[in-house]
Amino acid sequence: MMFTKVLSEQEHIEIENNLHEQFGIDLVDGLLIKKGEERLFFFSGNFSEAQIKNLEACVPIERLGIYFAKIIGNDVKLSIEGTNLLKNQIKKNIFELNEKQLEEWMTGSDLQVKTGKKGFIVVKYKDDLLGCGKASEEKIGNYIPKSRRLKQKG
Amino acid sequence: MKKPLELKPLFLERMKKIFSNEKDFQSYLKSIESEPPISIRCNTLKISPDDLKKRLENKSWKIKRPFKEYPEIIIVEGKFSNKNLIEENLVEKNSLDGNKYNSHDKVVSSIKNASSGWVGGNNNLISLEPGELGRSLEHLLGYYYVQEIASMLPVLALNPQPGELVLDLCASPGSKTTQIAARMENTGTIIANEVSLGRIKILASNTERCGAANVIIIKKEGTALCKRLKDAGFSFDKILIDAPCSGEGTLRSTPRTALMWNINTVKQLSKIQKHLIEAALEILKPNGELVYSTCTHAPEENEEVVDFVLKEFSDKVKIEKINLPVKCRNGLLGWVNEKYSREVTKSCRIYPQDSNTEGFFIAKFRRVR
Repeated sequence: MMFTKVLSEQEHIEIENNLHEQFGIDLVDGLLIKKGEERLFFFSGNFSEAQIKNLEACVPIERLGIYFAKIIGNDVKLSIEGTNLLKNQIKKNIFELNEKQLEEWMTGSDLQVKTGKKGFIVVKYKDDLLGCGKASEEKIGNYIPKSRRLKQKG
Repeated sequence: MKKPLELKPLFLERMKKIFSNEKDFQSYLKSIESEPPISIRCNTLKISPDDLKKRLENKSWKIKRPFKEYPEIIIVEGKFSNKNLIEENLVEKNSLDGNKYNSHDKVVSSIKNASSGWVGGNNNLISLEPGELGRSLEHLLGYYYVQEIASMLPVLALNPQPGELVLDLCASPGSKTTQIAARMENTGTIIANEVSLGRIKILASNTERCGAANVIIIKKEGTALCKRLKDAGFSFDKILIDAPCSGEGTLRSTPRTALMWNINTVKQLSKIQKHLIEAALEILKPNGELVYSTCTHAPEENEEVVDFVLKEFSDKVKIEKINLPVKCRNGLLGWVNEKYSREVTKSCRIYPQDSNTEGFFIAKFRRVR
């Protein structure tokens, strides 16, 4: 069951500001819902906060929208779906994979590459947005959830 | 080689009665011995049907799009073992996707001629590996949903529009919920309900993978949910009841259904289905539409439910004719000693031998008052 806390306008703007600073994103056009301290969900539907509360008063809500991002300190780590939703707005801190790296990434491995960046970066392969990784000096840490990983043959 | 189905004598007797014509019955029996073609639905929230087609063909998959008006519906026939043949196939596909498949008969023939993706009917075509459809990058990224063609039809009948408020009463695993979200272009709101906690997780995982962001998932027994929603003042533009059923139509892909089948379950399910639809009609807006579907052939779970609605809600609800891109036979006028309303014939029976799909039943109602 999900405790629904729709972010206030001010909180929403703060997330947008962080996303702008990290990835050049300007607008998150939908409701952002907080679950626990860290997890953010995105809802694109036309239900207002009042309608959501009315629904929740009559039946517990298990999930509202889709998992969008995790707040880690002052940073926002976008999920695969988060990067897809904002695909056309992401302008910076992007790491483009080659074909070999794609397989490593999608099987859940960290990438041993020096990007010259630190912190969360968006990972993509051609037109496919593949969520965020965490760049450090020597590698990009992998956050692909198990359910979205390519299974190795055999 | 597929193991022959072990059909119970009472089931056979009932199916024979449904068909009444021996040739038709034999054709049905033959059709359920083979798996249906492998079909997928392009998730248009993430990729266009043309772009997905190109990507899949680049993986050497042989694909076919049987319905010109629904390019998101794709049959995967297998994959080519020889690169030259892929190019030949591309030339052929370009012409097929253009003008050739625009009449109903040709569409049906197109599905009928599709072989199961696991068994190549062509020497140059090999079967996909088990699980290959589900572990491709395109699947993991939510570019398509593996869904049998007959299971896509209830949403085509419902025809949800952007901005509407839709209730999917028995939503898991989410094939139809995500199909509705795609047709609504992630606008409006879908309330997707599922009674089982285990199945909620599958539903959530599929809506997530497909990027269906206009979905609110709730967990409640369907009849009780409708009563609560009514008390809270909710009413819906569209409602889908893809009801829990005995699954007789799924024998081709799930042969164990034949072993689990029994007449008592059919009768119990019929009661549950009547309660569900009765409660759901109370929260349908005036002029709103409700689609009731099952993947079974049992008249108790189909026409009997429709007849119940037409009698109980005679002043509030009317049944509508449905236009679908596969062969539909009229609902039955009676079963055993029961005689149904003539209007029941507007419901749609889909048989595996008619269009090489699974079996389904679909009825569409409109609330007039």
